Amino acid sequence: MQKYISQQNLNILLDKLIAAGKRVVAPRLNAGTLLYEPLTSSGEWAQQAAPLPRRSGKEAFFPLCEDIMSYEKEGQQVTVTDIDPARFPETVLVGVRPCDAAAVPVLDAVFSWDYKDQFFLERRRKTTIIGLACTSGDDACFCTAVGLAPDETKGSDLFLTPVEGGGYACETFSEKGDALVANHQELFAEPNNSKALPLAAPQIEKFDLKKVKAWLDDHFEDPAWDSIATRCVGCGACAFVCPACHCFDIVDEGTEKSGKRRKNWDACGFWKFTHHASGHNPRDQQPKRYRNRIMHKFKYYDDKFGQTLCTGCGRCIRLCPVGIDIAAIVEDISKK
Amino acid sequence: MTQPIDTSIYSAVTEAIQAEARRILSEGLVTAIVGYTPARRKGSAQPIVISQAVEAAKLVFSAACVNNLAVYLTKAKKEIPKSGRIGIVVKGCDLKALVGLMGESQLKREDLYLIGVPCVGVLASTIQPDTALTSDTIAPKCGECDAHLPVGCDFVPPQQPFTPELDKKYANEIARLEALTPSERWAYWKEQFSKCIKCYACRQVCPFCFCEQCLCDRNKPQMVETTPRPAGNTAWHIVRAMHLAGRCAGCAECERVCPMDIPLNLLNRKMAKELKELYDYEAGFEVNEKGPLVSYEEKDDQSFIK
Repeated sequence: MQKYISQQNLNILLDKLIAAGKRVVAPRLNAGTLLYEPLTSSGEWAQQAAPLPRRSGKEAFFPLCEDIMSYEKEGQQVTVTDIDPARFPETVLVGVRPCDAAAVPVLDAVFSWDYKDQFFLERRRKTTIIGLACTSGDDACFCTAVGLAPDETKGSDLFLTPVEGGGYACETFSEKGDALVANHQELFAEPNNSKALPLAAPQIEKFDLKKVKAWLDDHFEDPAWDSIATRCVGCGACAFVCPACHCFDIVDEGTEKSGKRRKNWDACGFWKFTHHASGHNPRDQQPKRYRNRIMHKFKYYDDKFGQTLCTGCGRCIRLCPVGIDIAAIVEDISKK
Repeated sequence: MTQPIDTSIYSAVTEAIQAEARRILSEGLVTAIVGYTPARRKGSAQPIVISQAVEAAKLVFSAACVNNLAVYLTKAKKEIPKSGRIGIVVKGCDLKALVGLMGESQLKREDLYLIGVPCVGVLASTIQPDTALTSDTIAPKCGECDAHLPVGCDFVPPQQPFTPELDKKYANEIARLEALTPSERWAYWKEQFSKCIKCYACRQVCPFCFCEQCLCDRNKPQMVETTPRPAGNTAWHIVRAMHLAGRCAGCAECERVCPMDIPLNLLNRKMAKELKELYDYEAGFEVNEKGPLVSYEEKDDQSFIK
């Protein structure tokens, strides 16, 4: 379904959704840092700020930290209480950049594979994604290199493209998107002929992902890993800002009397990630840990699910403390 | 008002670094050199380790050379070969970390070949690497720098750095926070620490975080909650600030790399200020095996004992 919505009506839509008790999450400035956060009014949507929020949209489904169970002990009586996913709120994720929205269906594969992760899947079921095309970017952006685009609609239920003269061309891509438009049809107009604003134009040439994978298939051991990642300092910044990284750790925290079991983001860059109870660590050096990051994104996930675990958002490039540039690395591999 | 900052000496500095690197590698004075090299993004630079004289041409110095490379010489970074004498490109602020590491018996002066950089300043973390250096784009630490020209190196290019007088952002911000009531100050830090995502970038780039196993990675017993929640976040940052007191010399790498913009260097500068006031001590100027927090003298200030 194709429609048009003015900026004013889009704001009205968000305010109506908030008033109806929906959780509306959009890029919002938190003490100067742009993050996807729940809005209390449409005015908080920081549309003019830098195109990408500092962290990705994945946390709408896969939070940085969440309780998955709690326990209490009184005398000999132990009570364990599960978290009830039915209580997760209905959510509308607005202004999601194409690289963030496209990562969500990629994550569906792993969270609904042999084990159905009810925390992820229930949030996913209850969330409507409103994607927004990018009209600006920087030289860390490389969505086009991994086969996506600044107006990629993958993952979006409703997609907005800014048009000349203001407002957005809208297109729906799912029942959720259709329902959102149908329930607020007074705010949407028929599509007009306004031209879309010029889109961002990432500079990196499209990778030959088949060729990249073919090289990775044969080069688990290769001196290139040392030259790529000897300088990696082993933090989790790249994984934590990534829209597609999804490893987590489960910890029990509390006292003998009461406590919680929590699920936290984890990162393969950490030394502790593969540290065995025996003391042995199969990834005993940083290049082996960084190799896993590239392998997982461009080989293992493809082997398992036929997809690439990278949407070219460029966050890891912008935020790597030591300037490790995944786009440059994959480009080099594709030319080997 | 935006003041331009002249970085024109950096091209001559780059040439001098390359020539010296070529010489010391070809003469066998060092086995490797840790320096900076240009990267893909326009104007950007990244750390590199070279071991052949022909690789000297890869080295560069520019306002995008933000890293403190001293971190690579610590025992925490096992991937960097430590055999023989190692060359390292250092700004004045980075040199202070090396001086501290020597004081803590982590490095020996004779194992290092120090290539000092006359530095007018580097870019702030949030700035695109190809941006011109100005009073607005310069890293906050550079406004308070007292080491534009590193002292005691084996080689320093002859260029003279000139940096205009700039805002002292940390001093001003510390003064602002000191003027708050304790509860207002607590509210400020609570908000800052709530942003932490426990990516440990601050720890991983810190030259003084060289512990074989960080206390905060232990789970038997667990000392600090690992979840990115207020209690564990606050404990983590305060433990770290305390562990760095009297050691941190202000390279501000922790703050530069924080993906969540937590002003971590404020904690370290505040601790440094306390050390200066209580013990007239400043970290990073001379190799000192007995810093004020690991030694006792009768004249030490004892007013804190109540």
